[in-house]
Amino acid sequence: MTFSAGDWLVADELAPDPHGTLAPLYEGAAAGQLVMPFCDHCSQPLELEQFVCDACGGRVEWRRVDPSGTVHAVTTVHRREPGLIRVSDPYPVIDVELDSGHRVIMTTTRPVSEQPGIGQTVALSFRTVGDVALPAVTVPHPSHHDSEVTP
Amino acid sequence: MTDAAIVGLGLTPMSTKPGAPPESLAAQAVAAALADAGMEQAEVDGLLVNSSQGVRPDRLGVALARHAGFGPLRLLEHVEIKGATAAAMVQRAVLAVRAGLARSVVCVFADTPICPGGTSGSTYARSGGVEGTRGLERASGLLGSVPTFALLASRYLSMSGGDEDDLCAVACSARRWASYNLDAISRTTLSPEQYRGSPMVSTPLRRLDCARPVNGAGAIIVSTDDRRSDVNHAMVYVRGMAQWHPMRRRVAPGESWFGGGAGEAVSAALAMAGRTRADVDVLELYDPFSVVTLCLLEEYGFREPGTAGLTFRSGECDPGGSLPTNTGGGQLSAFYLQGMTPLAEAIIQVRGAGGERQVPGATTALVAGIGGRIDHHACLVLDREPS
Repeated sequence: MTFSAGDWLVADELAPDPHGTLAPLYEGAAAGQLVMPFCDHCSQPLELEQFVCDACGGRVEWRRVDPSGTVHAVTTVHRREPGLIRVSDPYPVIDVELDSGHRVIMTTTRPVSEQPGIGQTVALSFRTVGDVALPAVTVPHPSHHDSEVTP
Repeated sequence: MTDAAIVGLGLTPMSTKPGAPPESLAAQAVAAALADAGMEQAEVDGLLVNSSQGVRPDRLGVALARHAGFGPLRLLEHVEIKGATAAAMVQRAVLAVRAGLARSVVCVFADTPICPGGTSGSTYARSGGVEGTRGLERASGLLGSVPTFALLASRYLSMSGGDEDDLCAVACSARRWASYNLDAISRTTLSPEQYRGSPMVSTPLRRLDCARPVNGAGAIIVSTDDRRSDVNHAMVYVRGMAQWHPMRRRVAPGESWFGGGAGEAVSAALAMAGRTRADVDVLELYDPFSVVTLCLLEEYGFREPGTAGLTFRSGECDPGGSLPTNTGGGQLSAFYLQGMTPLAEAIIQVRGAGGERQVPGATTALVAGIGGRIDHHACLVLDREPS
């Protein structure tokens, strides 16, 4: 494992507020769990900031979900805002549809050379910005490590 | 019996350099609209203001009334429904005048995204904060609105079977219209090759797929139509109006980025005006990104899903085409004055004042503003007064 000072993509000042509306998500992420909002009555998945269910009027309940999904939409961002984006290459932003039905926009755990395409399945884990953990699409360790041990 | 009509339109010069603050630009636009209407400021008894979203300290607010020399007002509101605000302000003003709550209502928008020491791109990238969904997205690299609409574009093209040539066709069409518009920022001919040479901002959106930010302001005046003898141009009537807020959920199985029945608003506004889509002479759509024009053409029921790209590629939306769309060059090539861009162009066309870009015989315009991630729609059907 490589330790580095800060996130690979963004400056610490972009660390989300861990105590705000999405506090349960960040508390879960800090414990290595993906936690998403559902209706406490009919179990419909809710949007991240939704607290009343549009189907039945129930209230929000955050529940642990499987860290997997499919790509709903994807872009490679070429514009890199000085002082906020730490990389010199274009970077991925992916709208992931979780198997739970939620859709969450995230980047990857580390730089990638190729983007997953729409409809492709992805596994999720976490990255850390400042001291806040947040979900990210898992990118396996670079393949050149494999090649180093495999003649 | 009197009705409400749009009697004045004023635009500042559109600047791509830092300069005067929003209030100063707003006052300039108001003065221009008053002159256009042949009206004194003291006659105004209603003011609606539309600021850009965000937390910039100098954003326009109701203090404009005190600072810009207005007298006592019977109506003063800061209207906020994101990009749909300009059209929503007109709706508010027309209803107020019809109800007798006010007699002459100024609706004004001003914005200065281009600041000293930074580009408009930086202004947008640094807006949004660290709270809520937006905070999570920004920490994931989604800075400003281009990557956001790039996600929309990737999804739209995937579902429609379209490609970058569709986006290119929209950008080139906007430029063709802008070439005839002296107020447009980008007027030089744009070829597909030049489009493809434009820097990529966030795939699939290039710089030329994005609105042209400006510092500027626009104002219109809604008043009773018994001032006919005072104005030296055709009055513009608001014959139909509607809003639609689809509450499209970002959860499976629906689409996150587009759809949700906004054609309802267009149908309702046209029905109120006693018109059909076939009666619309010019279509003025909020076009912050090329892909949005494609989405709205389909969403508003002017084209079947997945066919808007072909419509643009075949030139139907161009000068001389059967569906003239964004006839001043839109936000893409003319200027990004948010909802004021399509509104102002619709007024110009319905008045018959479009000069070289005038659509011959145009008397009916559909104006549509969108807010957020195509989450809010406000539309108007504008008609030229009977001659």
